[in-house]
Amino acid sequence: MLATTAPLSSYTVPSPAEGLTTERAIVIAAQRGSDDAFSALVRIHQRRAYAIVRAIVLSHEDAEDAVQEGFLHAHRALDRFRPDQPFGAWLYRIMANAALDLVRRRKVRVAEELPETIPMPFRDPAESGELRERLQEALTHLTDRQRAVIVMHDVEGFTHGEIGRTLGIPEGTARSDLHHARAALRRLLQNLRSKS
Amino acid sequence: MTDERWTSGDAELTSALRALYAAPTEESYWDALESRILAHVTRGDDSDSWWSEVVEMARPGLAAAAALIFAASLALVHSRQIEVSSAYALVISPTPATIEPATRAAAIGDGDAAIHVLISR
Repeated sequence: MLATTAPLSSYTVPSPAEGLTTERAIVIAAQRGSDDAFSALVRIHQRRAYAIVRAIVLSHEDAEDAVQEGFLHAHRALDRFRPDQPFGAWLYRIMANAALDLVRRRKVRVAEELPETIPMPFRDPAESGELRERLQEALTHLTDRQRAVIVMHDVEGFTHGEIGRTLGIPEGTARSDLHHARAALRRLLQNLRSKS
Repeated sequence: MTDERWTSGDAELTSALRALYAAPTEESYWDALESRILAHVTRGDDSDSWWSEVVEMARPGLAAAAALIFAASLALVHSRQIEVSSAYALVISPTPATIEPATRAAAIGDGDAAIHVLISR
């Protein structure tokens, strides 16, 4: 890695009004080997990156691991990024892939460790409330992509287009996944709803 | 279930989803995560460069081994060719000379053999 080219204070999180030009400058500095510039990119994007991977993986801890892995992949691939492209879209695609990869690895591990049992849904002992618990369980019945789509849309406010670009699927597929995910959750939570 | 009931349920569901997937809000958490990410990236790059160095160092050895394997394969093919051609030569070569007298003697017959013996005396 090259030597640092600018002091840490030079790179602050740009406001939306500052536009993409500041970010582009930071990306170019990071491509030239500036650790501080890369650090600034982490600071700018880590929350959104966390939200994306959290929509895909099943736990907070896995989300942290996937974010770290995603940034490592991005750092290694930084040379191949063209600064005229939106950096966020490129990075979030890498994040989504890192998260999907982690989910696949977890599934293989569960299959290897518990060959005789049904995969148990992730349960956080700290969670309380029946709807929350049932929802958590119901989410495990969705496909990884359906879960990602509904969380990205309903929780994070991503548009269908943004979801499609991030997950590498057509916008129409994101729309249809959302529809099916909602229908599945409705069905799975129906008893709970009729009780309330 | 009517649409109206579902609309209120939708809001409830969305709010439950948001609670379930809420990201940490403390600044200290994000500062710590940033440090962890950067440490992970540095470690990852270090292991990368360590591996690259090993690959660099191993490259001449790998090339020599490849050349050795190639030479050994050539020698093997060559010796196999020699083996095949000598076996072929053995098959098509005439019957060995040492057998000839016996064959000839047998072909001469007993009477001729007796004459041969008398003449030789």
